[in-house]
Amino acid sequence: MENKNSKTDSRRQFIKKISTGSIIAASGLALSSLSSCKETSQEKTTLLTTDGKLVQVPNSEIGELEHQHITPEESRQGIPGKKWVMVVDLGKCKNAKKCIEACDKHHNLTPDRPYIKVLEMKDNEKSSPYWMPKKCFQCDNPPCVKVCPVGATYKRTDGIVLIDNERCIGCRFCMAACPYSARVFNWGSSPDQEVTTAYSPETSIPSKIGTVGKCDFCPDMLRKNKLPHCVPSCPNGVIYFGDEIDDTVTNGEETVRLSTLLRDKAGYRYMEELGTKPRVYYLPPVDRLFPFEKSTEENSES
Amino acid sequence: MRKVINKQQTYRTKRGKALLGHIVNTSLKYKLWIAFLLLIIVIGGYAYYRQLKFGLIVTAMRDYTSWGIYISNFVFFVAISLVGSLISSVLKLSKNEWSRPLTRISEIIAIAAIICAAVIIIVDMGRPDRFFYVITHLRIQSPIIWDVIIISTYLVISLLLLYLSLLPDIALCRDRLTAIPKWKKMLYRFMAINWNNHPKQVVMLQKVSRILAITVLPVAFAIHTVTSWLFATTWRPGWDSTNLGPYFVSGAFMAGAAVIIFTMYLIRIHLKLKKYITEIHFEKMGKLLVLLSLIYLYFNINEYLGPAFKMVGVEGEHITELFTGKYAPMYWFVQIGGLILPIILLIFRPFRKPLPIFIISLFVILGAWLKRFLIVIPSLQHPYLPIQGVDESYLHYIPTWEEWAITMSSFAWLLLIITVLIKLFPVIPILKAKLDSETIVKLNIFKNEKS
Amino acid sequence: MRNHNYLNMQVLKVFILLGIVCLNNSIIYGQDSMEDAIVSLSFLEENESKIIVTKAVDQSGLPIEDLELYYYVKRTFSLLPIGDPFNATDENGIIEVEFPNDLPGDTEGNVIIVVKIIESDLYNDLTLETTKNWGLLVQLPDQKVEKRSLWAAAANAPISLILTVSVMIISVWYIICYILFKLYKISKIKPLKP
Repeated sequence: MENKNSKTDSRRQFIKKISTGSIIAASGLALSSLSSCKETSQEKTTLLTTDGKLVQVPNSEIGELEHQHITPEESRQGIPGKKWVMVVDLGKCKNAKKCIEACDKHHNLTPDRPYIKVLEMKDNEKSSPYWMPKKCFQCDNPPCVKVCPVGATYKRTDGIVLIDNERCIGCRFCMAACPYSARVFNWGSSPDQEVTTAYSPETSIPSKIGTVGKCDFCPDMLRKNKLPHCVPSCPNGVIYFGDEIDDTVTNGEETVRLSTLLRDKAGYRYMEELGTKPRVYYLPPVDRLFPFEKSTEENSES
Repeated sequence: MRKVINKQQTYRTKRGKALLGHIVNTSLKYKLWIAFLLLIIVIGGYAYYRQLKFGLIVTAMRDYTSWGIYISNFVFFVAISLVGSLISSVLKLSKNEWSRPLTRISEIIAIAAIICAAVIIIVDMGRPDRFFYVITHLRIQSPIIWDVIIISTYLVISLLLLYLSLLPDIALCRDRLTAIPKWKKMLYRFMAINWNNHPKQVVMLQKVSRILAITVLPVAFAIHTVTSWLFATTWRPGWDSTNLGPYFVSGAFMAGAAVIIFTMYLIRIHLKLKKYITEIHFEKMGKLLVLLSLIYLYFNINEYLGPAFKMVGVEGEHITELFTGKYAPMYWFVQIGGLILPIILLIFRPFRKPLPIFIISLFVILGAWLKRFLIVIPSLQHPYLPIQGVDESYLHYIPTWEEWAITMSSFAWLLLIITVLIKLFPVIPILKAKLDSETIVKLNIFKNEKS
Repeated sequence: MRNHNYLNMQVLKVFILLGIVCLNNSIIYGQDSMEDAIVSLSFLEENESKIIVTKAVDQSGLPIEDLELYYYVKRTFSLLPIGDPFNATDENGIIEVEFPNDLPGDTEGNVIIVVKIIESDLYNDLTLETTKNWGLLVQLPDQKVEKRSLWAAAANAPISLILTVSVMIISVWYIICYILFKLYKISKIKPLKP
């Protein structure tokens, strides 16, 4: 086992030796890393190896990963050791739509058919309306994946439901099956003709005519250990994202334990009764940060 | 023997002349009809060319109404393809001898409809170039794959059903028709597979026909039940129903019976077969249509009463829209004009005369088509989450001319296939009974020899 | 409070990391410059609780009082704060922070604990990182083996479904083939002699 990843393991052993040796002269260690003690600690990124161990890798090494092109076949494997999860705090959303903008920009979408929608919801006549940002729920019992005749959409081990536009036959059965209307179709030729990068299901660009698209939790960003575009773009920190196995979610500024957050704020999943087991949780729209206000150019209609 | 090819066809019997005449003589009316159908097909072809070029954007389908009249048309075609099994299997097995002249018509309709259903589903695909992925990458978990399997099976069975009953008649055409072009003669010779009314052949054919008549039943039920599962396996209001399978099957039988009445009326008029397709046939088909409509009415009530009584959330909104909203005129036309009125009218004998029943069946067919529209489209427009933040065009569905042209051309294809098959083969079985007396005598001789 | 317990404590691992002892700095800035604190961490396990004991001393080895320290656990995207929102050293320069018992680590239970001095008035910013096997052991989903289910890939369809569909296809197509075979037989029968 240790032969396999020699680099990371040697570092691990080094740390082990330090800790078993109990006390190391403080000054000696300090002098050996005199040049950039602070810097190294910041430039390293913690990664999980394929066998599920934490390792710290200098960012220079990750650089190679960033430019890696993930082919459709590779994209069927999830990012090892992860179970992505999202929490949306409805009490903080004021329909700023920055998440939509960031998502549209990254996925080359036109504003008339975004992946993310911020819906105006009203649970009953007497309760106050609230904004509900809605993405793909990346269900653990995904109706869309069940019905796909060719396996063009698939559930990965990291929880993400992806679409391979090079496999999709455009039957739109998945769109009919999705109870949350999360999927969009490339009805006409895509606007991103100028995109020259090779297609990857992880980036969803360039989109292909006659195939289905949807919110994908930006796996290309996740591979770089970065948050999906919608998360940091939100000015109010509405969207928390993280790894369920880590039990931690972050909105870019605040980092909290997932279990604590869901327990303390009564987190729920939308339409739990459908049994689709979404990976997106909502926190009820209580203790609002903003009063509910509708901008004038809304074209909402139910 | 009959080597002399003379332009003047002679017939041994009057029956032969009446039933084979249209194969030999091509009328101007026939040519005009074919030309008309081809014109519609060409227009539809141009529309499809535009759809291939620009994508499905030329249709009115958008992200919420992601299935449109292509799919409702597909369901309609699958529905009427069930008539083959209804007439030639159900009525045959239940020893309803009166339906014999109708079997071939129904089998021909079944074949034409199932071919058109298969084609229209390819038209609906966003990437028809990847059609064969459903074979190379098939996922057996998907109801679409079940549908592909069952449609191809049913197509083969329908072809066999027609072919088995046609075989002695093809041999007859081969033997007796002289004034026909060479390619037709070769076709008959090829298709007759050396049929010579040998008693052994007759026995074998009877045996396999019976096996097939039994086999076709579960397959026919399966084809429309699986088609209903395309909807029932989703979470949509209006589709999320356990009733959908029998509802679809009963609706299909009703629509199928109406299509038979419609077709046999036209055949009777244009091929001058009043002696063979008699008023008694219309009378009996009328009664059958009432029976099938009553069954369908029963499932209709089951389909709507529960949700309408409970009015659960979006399901309730969907029902309200059908009953009193945007789709109410169409809904009540379908339920009253296409179901309740035909039942009431057809109870009375005068309405079971050829012309009245022809008009009534036209309404039933129109209602059946619109019913499929009502099953597919309003459900898609009532998702669980409100439709917001999308382009205005996503809120409505009014089919574009391309969609109508393609749909019309699918009907033209249906009629073209039916017309060509009728033109090629005798539309009424020429042999009067199951076996003609001659063969039975031969058969008995043969049996005696053996024992 | 725990001073008298020190002897009983089981000292597992202690290691000290140092901020940079930067002589140049102190020469140039003299008394006005910010100082580097020397922070040492030790980890105690007592009954059910896990405690991070931190001692902060200045360059001359005297304990620093009222120094605010921040405690984190490294996570995928960010640092997860642990302990109280504000943790300050006592008069002996010591802070005790309890590590949560139910925090998942990696497959070996390792977590990376990060201790920081951020924007102190007197001391330079400092980050200490150490790996500790205090996390819960985590069972990772198997990358290779996918459970048979309706949403699995084609190869992992439920056996019952495959069997049902196969039986139905085979039985119907067996009949079709039988009929075709019979038709072939029919075509081989020679006509009776008149």
